[in-house]
Amino acid sequence: MPEHDGLMRIFWPTDLARSDLRGVVVGWRNSALDVFVVAILEEVEPRNVESALKIGTLFRNAPHPVSRIYELCGQSSMHVLGVSNTPESVEVDPSWVRVLTGPDHRVPSVTCSRASSIQIVLFERPLPGRMQYISLNPIALALGDKHDGFRNDPPEPGEENEDEKEERLKKEKKQQLVEKLRQHSVIRRVPSAKEKALAKIVNQINWAWELEKLLQKNVSRIGTRPKRSLSVSERVVESATTARDMVLVWIWDMLTVYVLPVIRTIFVLGLMSHRIAAEVLLLMLEWRARPRYAALKDISATAQQVEIRLQQFCYWPMQYVTLRLRKNDWESVTTSHPDYIRFYNSLWLVANDVIIGIALGSYIIDNAAWVAEEISQLLSTYTVDALQSSISWLMGWPAGLKLNNELAAFLGDLFLWVIDYWSSCIGALTPALPHIIWFIGFSSFAGASMPIALFSDLLSILTIHIYSFYLASARIYHWQLNILISLFHLFRGKKHNVLRNRIDSCDYDLDQLLVGTILFTLLFFLLPTVVVFYLNFAFARMAIISLKAVFDTLLSCLNHFPLFALMLRVKDPRRLPGGIRFELRDTRQDFRLAPVNAAPDPPTPKQLPSTSVIYLKSIPLDFKAMFHQYFQMGHRIRKHYLSPRVLLCLLTGKFVPPLNRKNLYSLQYSMLPARRAGILEMWDAVNSLPPPRRRAAPIYVPVLANGKSRYPNNYGNGGRSRIYG
Amino acid sequence: MLTTPPTLYTRRPSPTTAEFTLTTCPPLTLPLRVALSLLFLGRLVLVLGVVMVCYARWTISPFYNSSSTTSTTASTTTDTDTSDAVLGLLWLLSKAHHTYLGHLSTRIAAAIPLWLLGLLSAGALYAAVFLRVHTTESLLVLRGLGIQTATNNSLLFGFGSTTRFIPTEKIRDVLINEAFRGFEVRYYLVVVVDGESDVVVVFPRLLPRKDIVESVWRGVRGCLYDSQGRVEHYHHHSPRQQQSDNSGRTVYDKG
Repeated sequence: MPEHDGLMRIFWPTDLARSDLRGVVVGWRNSALDVFVVAILEEVEPRNVESALKIGTLFRNAPHPVSRIYELCGQSSMHVLGVSNTPESVEVDPSWVRVLTGPDHRVPSVTCSRASSIQIVLFERPLPGRMQYISLNPIALALGDKHDGFRNDPPEPGEENEDEKEERLKKEKKQQLVEKLRQHSVIRRVPSAKEKALAKIVNQINWAWELEKLLQKNVSRIGTRPKRSLSVSERVVESATTARDMVLVWIWDMLTVYVLPVIRTIFVLGLMSHRIAAEVLLLMLEWRARPRYAALKDISATAQQVEIRLQQFCYWPMQYVTLRLRKNDWESVTTSHPDYIRFYNSLWLVANDVIIGIALGSYIIDNAAWVAEEISQLLSTYTVDALQSSISWLMGWPAGLKLNNELAAFLGDLFLWVIDYWSSCIGALTPALPHIIWFIGFSSFAGASMPIALFSDLLSILTIHIYSFYLASARIYHWQLNILISLFHLFRGKKHNVLRNRIDSCDYDLDQLLVGTILFTLLFFLLPTVVVFYLNFAFARMAIISLKAVFDTLLSCLNHFPLFALMLRVKDPRRLPGGIRFELRDTRQDFRLAPVNAAPDPPTPKQLPSTSVIYLKSIPLDFKAMFHQYFQMGHRIRKHYLSPRVLLCLLTGKFVPPLNRKNLYSLQYSMLPARRAGILEMWDAVNSLPPPRRRAAPIYVPVLANGKSRYPNNYGNGGRSRIYG
Repeated sequence: MLTTPPTLYTRRPSPTTAEFTLTTCPPLTLPLRVALSLLFLGRLVLVLGVVMVCYARWTISPFYNSSSTTSTTASTTTDTDTSDAVLGLLWLLSKAHHTYLGHLSTRIAAAIPLWLLGLLSAGALYAAVFLRVHTTESLLVLRGLGIQTATNNSLLFGFGSTTRFIPTEKIRDVLINEAFRGFEVRYYLVVVVDGESDVVVVFPRLLPRKDIVESVWRGVRGCLYDSQGRVEHYHHHSPRQQQSDNSGRTVYDKG
C-alpha cells in the first residue's frame, strides 16, 4: 500500500462529549492510517466493544435497516479505533490511537505508534433531525438542465439561431483549449486510498450524529456495569406513564383503522380526478397543428401560466410521495433534502401568489369600472392619440427636416386611416371592458400571476396595430435600403455575384446606368421620409417589448423566487450547504503577529508527533448561487437584445428575432421535471405510500444505565432485548 | 505606511500540511494598530455624517411633518414595542439634529440637489463599507485532502471572504504560467482542475512576483505529492525534514 508515509488522518467531531473517563474510541477505518471517529464509549473494555461490534449488539433497536449505514458510509463494519484517557501502561494494538481528552482539552491530543505526523480534522456534526448536512458540491436548487432537450424539440441545424451558434462555437474552442491543456500534464498520478475517500467521508460526517446516538443508546448492553434497581417513586411514575401511553395508543388505533382510510380514499380519488382534468387541459395547451408550429402556450402568457400551474399540480403528489418515503429511512440520508426545499418553495410561492392574488383581485373587482375607465383612457392616449399626433407631426416638417411632402402625406394618411379604424374597434370594445376587467379580477383568485399574464396578453392584443405598423414600415424600409445598395453597386459599375457571394465588376450599358442612377437618386431622396416613419414605429414597438419584459420578470419572480431557500439561509445556513472549507488552526504561528519566535510549548509528558489541527466547516450557499438562474436569464436577454447585431437589424430594418422562448423560460421550467408523470404512474405512486405506522409506545430508555425496564422497549420492531436483573 | 508589498508567510505545523498566506498587511505593531483604529473611526464618522445629512434632508422634505407626528405619538403611547430600537434611533437622530452639527448638515443638505446628495451619500457609504485597505490571499495545502484557495477582502466584519476547495482527486496539475498584463509579464500559479473549462488562479488579486510564486509552487508540490518519490527513503530523510520544519517559517519580501 502506498500509505506508509506515516501521515495519519483522524476526523474528530468537536461536539463529542468531553469527559475524563476512560473510553473506547469507535468509528470507521477508511484505510490503515485514515480513521473517522464516531463515538467514545465510556467505561467499557475494548475487547467487549470489539465483539459487540462484530455481533451487532451496538446496533440493536435501530429504527431502520443497519445495512443502509454500511452502504452509504462505504465500509463493511465499524471498528475500535483506539482508547481514550488510558494510562500508558496498558498495552494496545499498534494501529490504535491513544487519545487524551477532557473538559479542558479543546482539541484532543492524539498519538499513534505507527504515525509520524498527524492531521486532526475537527468538524461539527450536522444535525440530521434539522436536515442539516454538508456536501462537496453546492446544493442544487433547480432541477438540473437535463430537460432542455426534452421539453422542446431538439434544435435542427438550420433552425439554430445566431447567438446559439456563437455560444456553441465558443464552447468548442474552449473545449479544444482544455484538451490541449490536458495533453500538457505528463504525469498521471494514481490517487491514493486516502484521496479517494473524501466522498465517503462526507457521508460519514453526515451520519456521525445519528450513529453516535444509536451507539450510546446501546452502550448499556456491553459487559457488566454497576447497576441498581428502580426506586418506588420511579416505579410509580413508570406505571403511570405506561397507563397513559396505553390509552393514547388505543385512541390512535381507532383513528387509523376507521377514520383515516376513508379520508385517504376520498382524497386520493379527488386527486386523481384533478389529475385527469389537468391532463386534458395540458394536452390542449400543448397541441400543435404541425410539429414546427407554435402551440398555444408558446403564444400566450396566460396559457403558459396555466400550464406551469398544472404541471406543478401534477408534480406535487410525486414530490410528496418521495418526501414521505424519506420517513422510512434514516434521517441522515441527504439525497432528498433538495427535493424538500423545492417542494416547499413551490408550495410557499403558490400560497403567496394566491394571497397576493386575493388582495389584488378584490381590489380589481371592487373598482372594476374605475380600472376599466383608466385602462381605456390609457389606451386611447398612448396607442391612438399619441400615435396620431406623432404621425401628423411627421407629416409636417419634423424638427426642421424637409421630408418629401407627397410621400409623407401618403404614408401618414395610410397609417392614420388604419388607426382610425382601430380606434373605432376599440370604441366598440369599451362597453365590454368592465366585464373583461371583472373577469381578470376574478381570475386573480387563482394567484396574482394570472392577472399579470392576462394583462400581458391584453397588451399584446390591444397593441396589435402598432406591431403591424412596425412590420409594414420595416418591410418598406428594408426593401428600399436593399434597392439602394444594389443601385449603388450599379452606380459604381459593380454588381453582387450571388453565386460566389462577392462583388464583381460588370459592364453596364449606358441606358442601364442612366436609369439606375436616376432611380438611385430618387430613392435616396425618398429615404429619410421612410426612415422617420420606420423609427417612430420601431420605438413604439421597443417600448411595448420592454413593458412585456417587465410583466415577464414579475411573473418569473412570482413563480420561481427562491423564497424558501432565502428563509433557510437566514434561519439555518447549514441546511443549504455550498461546499466545504478547511481552516488551519495553529495559534502559535499567526502571521499577523510580529515575527518574534514563539516560545516552545510547555513541556508535555511525551513528545507528540507533529500535528496539524484543521477545522472542516461547511460553507453556506452564497446568494449568487441562489439567484444563478436569474443571472443566467438576465445574461441571455442582455446578450440577445443589447448586442450590436440587434442594433444592426434595427438600423437595416430587418426583423429583430424575438428571443427563443425556450431560453427565456428555462427559469420557469427549472423547477419542473422534463417529463410529467403519467396518470397511472401517479396512481401507483399515491397507492404505494405505506399505511400510517401504528403508533408505538414511546421507546423507553432506562434513566439509569441498565435500569430495569418493565416491558420490552421495542414495541414495533420485534428485536430482542435483554433485561438485566 | 498602512500596507506593504505582498509578503509571504508560511505556516507548516506538520510536513504534510502547509498554509501560504500572501498579505499586504504589515506585522501589527503599535503605530499600525493606532492607524488602523483611526481609519476605522474615520469610516464610522463618515457613515454617521451621511446618516445625519440624509436625516436633515428628510426633515426639509414635504413628507416630514406627517410622519414625525405619528412617530412621536407612537413613542409616547407604546414604549414596549418591537420597533423600540428603531424609535430610539430616530429619537437619537432628532436629538442630534438640534445640535450644531445638525444645523451644519441641514445647511449642507439644503445646498445640494437631491440627486447629487443621493449619489454622494451612496458613494460615501460604499467607500466606508466596501473599500479595503489590505488584501490577504492564502493557499492551504493538505496532503490527502486537497488544495484550498481563499481570498479575504478584509471588509469590516470579515464579509466577502471566499474560499474554494479542490479535492486532490480533481487536481490535474499545479503549474506556473506567464501572461501579459498591460505592458508587463506576470507569472502566476495555476491549478488545473479535472473536468472544468477554467483553470483556478492562485492569488488572483495580488499576483505576486516570480520568486514568491516559485517558492509557493515548490512548497505545494512538496506538500501534496512528495510521498511517492520518498516511499523507500522515508526514514533516511525524516530528520532533515524535521529540521526544515523548525526553520520552515520563511518570509519572502518583494524586492
